[in-house]
Amino acid sequence: MARMKFLCDAERCIECNACVTACKNENDVPWGVNRRRVVTINDGSPGERSMSVACMHCSDAPCEAVCPVDCFYTTDDGVVLHDKDTCIGCGYCFYACPFGAPQFPTAGAFGSRGKMDKCTFCAGGPEADNSAEEHRKYGSNRLAEGKLPLCAEMCATRALLAGDGDTVSDIFRERVTWRGSSGLTWGWGVAYSKPGLRRGRDVEGRATGKD
Amino acid sequence: MNNNKPGRTRRPVALYSALMALFSLMLALPMAPQAWAGGSEPAAKVVNPGTELWREVRQREAPRAGVTQVAGMDSGVLINIRGEQWRQFRMEQLIPAAGVLIGGVLGLIVFFHLLKRGVRLEHGRSGNYLLRFKEIDRILHWYVATVFIFLALTGLILLTGRVVLIPVFGHEVFSVIASASKEGHNLFGPLFLLGVIGLLIRFVSKNFPGKGDLGWLLTAGGFLGGKHPSAGFFNAGEKIWFWLVIFIGLTISATGLILEFPFFGQDRPMMELSLVLHGVGAVLLVAGLFGHIYVGTAGMEASLESMTSGYVDVNWARQHHDQWAEVCEAEGAVIAGEDLAKKQRLRGTKNRVPDRPVAEEGR
Repeated sequence: MARMKFLCDAERCIECNACVTACKNENDVPWGVNRRRVVTINDGSPGERSMSVACMHCSDAPCEAVCPVDCFYTTDDGVVLHDKDTCIGCGYCFYACPFGAPQFPTAGAFGSRGKMDKCTFCAGGPEADNSAEEHRKYGSNRLAEGKLPLCAEMCATRALLAGDGDTVSDIFRERVTWRGSSGLTWGWGVAYSKPGLRRGRDVEGRATGKD
Repeated sequence: MNNNKPGRTRRPVALYSALMALFSLMLALPMAPQAWAGGSEPAAKVVNPGTELWREVRQREAPRAGVTQVAGMDSGVLINIRGEQWRQFRMEQLIPAAGVLIGGVLGLIVFFHLLKRGVRLEHGRSGNYLLRFKEIDRILHWYVATVFIFLALTGLILLTGRVVLIPVFGHEVFSVIASASKEGHNLFGPLFLLGVIGLLIRFVSKNFPGKGDLGWLLTAGGFLGGKHPSAGFFNAGEKIWFWLVIFIGLTISATGLILEFPFFGQDRPMMELSLVLHGVGAVLLVAGLFGHIYVGTAGMEASLESMTSGYVDVNWARQHHDQWAEVCEAEGAVIAGEDLAKKQRLRGTKNRVPDRPVAEEGR
């Protein structure tokens, strides 16, 4: 059984926000709601890093724990979903979530919240797979079609990885190995012939000036 | 991934394994600075800039915000660890404590009532009356009482309903109840603040510490020592209840307003703190309310009349508020039962005092 996970490689993310746009488009996300966002730390300074973040589909999900109406559930693939028919828009999941994933459309007077909306790992909701009702409430159900979340599929630099945890870990581990043990992988020293890099699997030719 | 429909399979695996997956890259990256291996160049120590950065992002110490294109509260914060603290408090302390405290107070009240059967009028009724609460005070009292009981019920539904009511009603029905509770709670919440301010204005002058309060406290209101301690218009217990209502009432009103109108830039730590104060204060006040209701009804004979008709029997006043009764009697404020009954008949008052003295009734 797969255990779905997201992983964002901050050494690759270029803050293009394509994942955000892809998600909004694919899932017809309500106005004012962004299921995914890219956060840049140290913007404009040396050591700047960006990372795309959305619901991380926690094993022990804080949102699920604090929900007063118990509207969350975890699928067999480890995806944390919720039932909008049960949700009362109290906002507790937003307070409990470390990643700021739950979002609320403004629904009424005085800024009152509508029903919570968050990343579904492109896996829809409790309704029948890919039914009109499911799409209206939760957006696409790509997982049911055998596809992965569109944000990761769209990522131009392959910074954002989505899929089974083991597979994602393997890909990332290989990248770390390929980058080598130097802290200088991110910068001029790598681009211009500093020796010491190890070769990755399936990489042809010379990765360094000397070999 | 062929089946992702709700199995409601919860996975109580280690906390934040997803978080760990996201940031495993930081652990995987080398921490140790490394010298350049370049030929004749001088060795330069360069620390991986990511190491410290991600440690800060995970907020081991202070929150660190980045920038993002996405507008929204705290959208620049990658990880907010305070949410977990709030979760632990709410689920493992507040909700169980609320059950223990409210259940415990109810149990204590039942126990003491069976033990002592409440406080009776020692000398029966005199048939003469003193005006204790004017109409405006009574209206104010019942206004606050109505609003508070409604807020307490809806609040307790939201706090404990998942544990107590979902097993009874199921998820769908409880969702409707909870939704109505949330809307009602938000609608009536601000009205409670007006009531608390009203109570403060009408009763604050009578609630400063005074003669006899220490003695009242030392004997726990006559519970210890057997003799009823001296008291003025309000005894020390009533004064404590007043100040609890004022301070806790203002606290839960202020935090409630912060929570209800989330568009003045309140961030998550502030909302979490507000929820903590709101919950703790409300549970304390509900527990106190049970005591207040008991003492005002079954716990003390002839007390409730002060808040219904507004008049109390002179013997009740002498027994429980001797200093006040003394002053009233010296001022000639005592009203004979016949006069009061006639007056109330003319006005068509509903909660009338009995037409004739009932000193022997029920004794």
